[in-house]
Amino acid sequence: MPRVRKGAARTRARKRILRDARGYFGVKSRHKYQARNAVIRANVFAYRDRRTRKRDMRALWITRITAACRMRGTRYSRFMNGLKLAGVNLNRKMLSQLAIEDPAIFDELVQISNEHSRATPAASSN
Amino acid sequence: MRRQTTFAKAGEVEKKWHVVDATDVPLGRLASDIAVVLMGKHRPEYTPHVDTGDFVIVTNASKVALTGRKAEQRLKMHYTGYPGGLKVRTFGEVREKHPERLIEDAVRRMLPKNRLGRVMLKKLKVYAGEDHPHQAQQPTPMQVG
Repeated sequence: MPRVRKGAARTRARKRILRDARGYFGVKSRHKYQARNAVIRANVFAYRDRRTRKRDMRALWITRITAACRMRGTRYSRFMNGLKLAGVNLNRKMLSQLAIEDPAIFDELVQISNEHSRATPAASSN
Repeated sequence: MRRQTTFAKAGEVEKKWHVVDATDVPLGRLASDIAVVLMGKHRPEYTPHVDTGDFVIVTNASKVALTGRKAEQRLKMHYTGYPGGLKVRTFGEVREKHPERLIEDAVRRMLPKNRLGRVMLKKLKVYAGEDHPHQAQQPTPMQVG
């Protein structure tokens, strides 16, 4: 078997790693081994966080809808329940965007929700 | 991909001022309502990595309510680092001597423990008495409790 020489391949491999590690802190963007570890780790986080992003965003929308509801004297759970009973199928992303971009529509949604809710209207905002 | 969820931008958030009268309001209830406003969770454009909260002025901090026997029983302690350097005070004593401290402590512990949390805390202004030097900001009264 012929002897394999690695010069060019090795350079290429290092360059690929360092390219992916561009902008990292200190030695992680300059040295091959530290950069390789950092890149592997970064990819793990990226893979995981593409999944957790969906949950994080939903939690954010719920927080925002809660704020919008409390401004109008109701709560998140009552509001969502009322919408369901009313047959309104807007998802949480759209509801939170409406609360920011078109507060008047959200006012109406709260009203629709209150009308269809079986719970007695909240006495206070708490 | 078009981003469909709005994120508030630092510096573009319009901050309001609120004023709260702490007279006879239980400490914890007061603090949790204030913390929500400081964090900005009372607004539909709340963004976790940006400070979207408002300013809160608390007046009459010396008249905040401590329910049950907490004024005599519950202790504020801290250790100075010297031998035998444990300082102990009841909540009632702290309320008399440093009325601002009780509310500031309670609110601080309800805020996020990070850099942003420390920024948020700076928007809290607590005063022992009736008056505050923020008339120019035209604060609106806030409902608590």
